[in-house]
Amino acid sequence: MTSVSVIDELKKIQILELLEQGKRIDGRAFDEPRKLVIETNAIPHANGSARVRLGDTEVICGVKIQPDRPFPDTGDKGLFICTAELLPLSHPTVETGPPQPHVIELARVVDRGIRESHMVDVSQLVIEKDKSVIGVFADNVVVDYDGNLFDACSYASTAALLTSKTPKWNWVDDKPQLVEGGETALPISTIPVSITMGRIGNHIIVDPNGDEWDSMDARITITTDSDGNICALQKGGSDGFTQDQINQCGEISVRAGAKIREILKEAQKGSQ
Amino acid sequence: MMDNKRKYVIPGDVITTGPFRPEQNVILEGDKIISTTIGISEIYDDVVKVITLTGKYIPKIDDLVIGKINSHTSLSWELDINSCYVGFLPAQDVFGRDFSAHADELSSKLKTGDLVATRIANFDRTRDPLVTISDRDLGKIDSGVLVKISPSKVPRLIGKKGSMIQMIEMATDAAVTIGQNGWVVISCESPEGLLKAKKAIEMVNEKAHVANLTDQIKEMLQIKDNES
Repeated sequence: MTSVSVIDELKKIQILELLEQGKRIDGRAFDEPRKLVIETNAIPHANGSARVRLGDTEVICGVKIQPDRPFPDTGDKGLFICTAELLPLSHPTVETGPPQPHVIELARVVDRGIRESHMVDVSQLVIEKDKSVIGVFADNVVVDYDGNLFDACSYASTAALLTSKTPKWNWVDDKPQLVEGGETALPISTIPVSITMGRIGNHIIVDPNGDEWDSMDARITITTDSDGNICALQKGGSDGFTQDQINQCGEISVRAGAKIREILKEAQKGSQ
Repeated sequence: MMDNKRKYVIPGDVITTGPFRPEQNVILEGDKIISTTIGISEIYDDVVKVITLTGKYIPKIDDLVIGKINSHTSLSWELDINSCYVGFLPAQDVFGRDFSAHADELSSKLKTGDLVATRIANFDRTRDPLVTISDRDLGKIDSGVLVKISPSKVPRLIGKKGSMIQMIEMATDAAVTIGQNGWVVISCESPEGLLKAKKAIEMVNEKAHVANLTDQIKEMLQIKDNES
């Protein structure tokens, strides 16, 4: 069996025809993301977690916080690593085994968006300089696939990090020792929001669903921080964007991102 | 003992014992006839069978199925036919007998993503089914909308002697091609008719088990008629 999903030509034509009329196949506006539902603390035993539904795409993220050895060149900074994985039950074409290139890309894009926004202030996550730091690991698992995993995983990771509690460690006898009851929130400096846009023909659409994803000519993922600055960008697909379209995407990402950021803030408030 | 009554069964249920011939979706173990799927058991004459309520499409020779081109080799196309099997469409079927693997490029006739109305030419469960498009009304589908329903609901959508589908076609002016694999293509001049037909077909899919489905569909289509 093939492991890539093939969209039927008729649907592709229908999507394009509708776009020409200013409509999308699921009735949304061009710059309107799907309904975002965030449930925080979905995994009680994790340091932080979130279950995110973006339309029919569903992602669960768990955050693990533990002492770790720092990288040799950044002994004064903690670690932040974000991963992503697709479960075979998420889509008929997903198979078990080593991650496919697009899954590796997914993890990297989500990681970069959060890392380059400096959401987690890693300089505050040091137990003993050059010897021991706190590592924050956000692991995303895709439970259901209907397009745009970039944004779904990014929102899940961000929501999980926002609601994470980090334990406290002291440096005793050359090793980190856990301090009971010393849990605090992670040092958060900004809320990054990634917005993925697809180009079909000459139309730019925000948050493509599964069918739109399969008929896209090109895509771009732009992550903005709380100040509306662009901090990460990834372009994909075999075709390109014109400069005007890139500018348009930048504006959309700031505008649509601000709305999503409010939902993330609500989720953070709701968990406190 | 003749028990003509239909029963709902699940895998492992003993349907009956005695000198019956096991047919679809049942196995004979000793003298017990046991269901292998979820469905409705039927006993008539000396035959026991179960009509499945769920599940993927299992190809049968001469079935009309709608397939989607997934890929091709230099000699044949591979079709997604909504089954655990892949449909094989040999190049000779499309290019004719003088097909040459060197000279003819398969993607010039049918490319990935195209929908094709085909008929199952040969199938024996040990190999993937061979499909053909050399017949009337078969071949590439150029327009319309694909609706996916459960393959087990296809007989309900067609109805007795095609009554259900005729009713839908008449009320909406749509042309509906039903694949036995649960893929249905609707083409219609007017967008309203298309939407109505799509809604009706989805309703059959959801409510296939309901007794007065025909009346409900009729009602739905007529109410819409008055509105528009």
